[in-house]
Amino acid sequence: MDRKKHRIMMVSDFFYPNFGGVENHIYYLSQCLLKLGHKVVVVTHAYGNRSGVRYMTCGLKVYYVPWRPFVMQNSFPTLFPSLPIIRTILIRERITVVHGHQAFSTLCHEALMHSRTMGYRVVFTDHSLYGFSDAGSIHMNKVLQFTLADVSQAICVSHTSKENTVLRSGLPPEKVFVIPNVVDTAMFKPAVVQPSRSEIVIVVISRLVYRKGADLLVEVIPDVCRLHPNVRFIVGGDGPKRVWLEEMREKHSLQDRVEMLGAVPHTQVRSVLISGHIFLNSSLTEAFCIAILEAASCGLLTVSTRVGGVPEVLPDDMIILAEPDPGDMVLAIERAISMLPKVDPQVMHHWMRELYNWHDVAKRTEIVYDHALKCPNQNLLERVSRYLYCGVWAGKLFFLVMIVDFLFWRLLELWQPAEDIEEMPDLTLPHISNKETLQETK
Amino acid sequence: MDHHLASDSPQVRPRWRKVAYGGMQPGFDDNHTDESFLEGMVMNANVVRRDMLKVMLDSVSISEYLCIVALVVLVWTYTLESTIDENRLLCIDVSLLVLGFLILLFTQEKISLSILVHHYFLNISFFIMGLYVLAPIYQTLTRSISSDSIWALTVSLLVIHLFLHDYSESTVNAPGALKNPALTSCISVNASVVASVFIASRLPSRLHVFAIMLFSLQVFLFGPLVTYCIKKYSFRLHLCFSISLMVVTLSFVYMLHCLLFVLLLSLLVFVNVVCPYWLIRIQEYKFEINGPWDEAKLCFAITD
Repeated sequence: MDRKKHRIMMVSDFFYPNFGGVENHIYYLSQCLLKLGHKVVVVTHAYGNRSGVRYMTCGLKVYYVPWRPFVMQNSFPTLFPSLPIIRTILIRERITVVHGHQAFSTLCHEALMHSRTMGYRVVFTDHSLYGFSDAGSIHMNKVLQFTLADVSQAICVSHTSKENTVLRSGLPPEKVFVIPNVVDTAMFKPAVVQPSRSEIVIVVISRLVYRKGADLLVEVIPDVCRLHPNVRFIVGGDGPKRVWLEEMREKHSLQDRVEMLGAVPHTQVRSVLISGHIFLNSSLTEAFCIAILEAASCGLLTVSTRVGGVPEVLPDDMIILAEPDPGDMVLAIERAISMLPKVDPQVMHHWMRELYNWHDVAKRTEIVYDHALKCPNQNLLERVSRYLYCGVWAGKLFFLVMIVDFLFWRLLELWQPAEDIEEMPDLTLPHISNKETLQETK
Repeated sequence: MDHHLASDSPQVRPRWRKVAYGGMQPGFDDNHTDESFLEGMVMNANVVRRDMLKVMLDSVSISEYLCIVALVVLVWTYTLESTIDENRLLCIDVSLLVLGFLILLFTQEKISLSILVHHYFLNISFFIMGLYVLAPIYQTLTRSISSDSIWALTVSLLVIHLFLHDYSESTVNAPGALKNPALTSCISVNASVVASVFIASRLPSRLHVFAIMLFSLQVFLFGPLVTYCIKKYSFRLHLCFSISLMVVTLSFVYMLHCLLFVLLLSLLVFVNVVCPYWLIRIQEYKFEINGPWDEAKLCFAITD
């Protein structure tokens, strides 16, 4: 079946050279979509001196728009001034679908707003869970309501995340697709020679902050070391709570049993993981924990807190769940230690390859794009009444914002007509054109 | 992977499961919404249902404190107009001190006379001596500042004091009470002390200054303790005390100025009647959502 080929623009504040879950997701998804024959362009803000257009593997074009990051890698929210550059990129690359990532990214919200004004189809992926009651979450949820008032389709990374997004934004559940995040199993292979099971090594790799459960670690590690004399811990990662872990280590004299590695660069994560038998994740909230997948791909048995989307991530024979309570976690670690002889890392790795696959995710994302393109193409003036439902005062404010954006766009169409913007011809890289026939899309 | 394939008929599709692994579930789209969607959502779990009468009775302690502050301002006004001279003021001070001690003695069952003498009496005498020694400083403090600025500052400081005061009395330092003071209650105490100093600095003689400072500080610093002890001892006593205080305040203010009386009366009615009704009305709109997406709460003490 010859599917229609899409021209996709991925937009987010978070992309390489910054390292993290969202960045990896965008990169790998773009690569797989390129292999399927679609055209993908990534738009992000400038990182240091890296500003302008760059090309990555397989001809992935990345626009580093010259804006400075403002706080936590987010660009400064400017609302209307970002319209000209987004419009130019959209026309120049002849984009058909705009795909925004991460609710926390201001660039994503602005790009989606402008794309909707100009009538492009819009897909949004949410990677995190948010609460409802504190001031930051209330603000974030209002902004999300604005963006998702008129989105074509939405993607969430787990079913719990879908419930959370539907409640926060008021989207109908049929518009939300659940497509998980996956791990590149080729990069995370188990060790060729397994570490000896005479001494059990438990690995923890996470940022040492409150949200990732560092306080739970401070309570759990001494109890486990006391109950099991043959257990050793390796703790990788840095953060404000590292001081408490060091203090715990000194207080219980565990210097030879708890090794603190500090911040571990992503390229060395695999070598840290394969030196252990069990992976411990103590986070207090997770939409979808990629670290657990990396550990399972390396053949480690996982012990994790039962929060957010974690119960959906792995089958029961690969993960042991516990309540976020030190006593329960110690019991779960004991069960894991007793299950360890039955675990074969190579079998686990092969199983992970079946369960999670980037090409499968790319195909499912393609289906979402097809659905998005099937949405009726009304112009803005017919759609703008949807913004009035966002709230008594906020609805009217959002309505006004969209009207001003529309007027600004019309002004730009007169001042800088679309015909004057040079369209980019498609690059045909040799190895792609050898593998499959590319339709000429000039 | 254990897919639940039905063994009898091939048309029955497998059950949908709430899992993210294994790719697309056969027979279901990715946007399939199961009946178990939002099953874990709990609404309004921690919301307290309030009763109108109870809220009105609780708001009596707020109006009690408002009346106490109104009485202090009244005494200040009379002293500044020289209606009350310094000897009468000293008598008021002493009688308030004795009254406060008696109330503490009656309401604290655990406290014996010896503890009272050693703990409270000694500290209070040091305090009084310190105030007497420092009175000359307060007298000349604001001599170069015009009176209008002083009145304006005092009024704003008192408003800040009332706004930030800790009406829940969680910071009262009574024997058997509780946590560390919050930032706002520290600010409110400071505001009231500074207002007292400003008023004291406008008075003619040192004895005036000492008497008025003693009076103001007694009420602002020890008043909350006394009212807390009364409230803890018996709610009826607290209610009677508050209502009589309100009546006394209103009558004194009426004798001073009619407009102020109307203002105070409307303020008391607003606090006691209008606000409870309003609170209960808007409580119907409360919508608290909890579910599996919430950040887990740790049940042990966190070191920060």
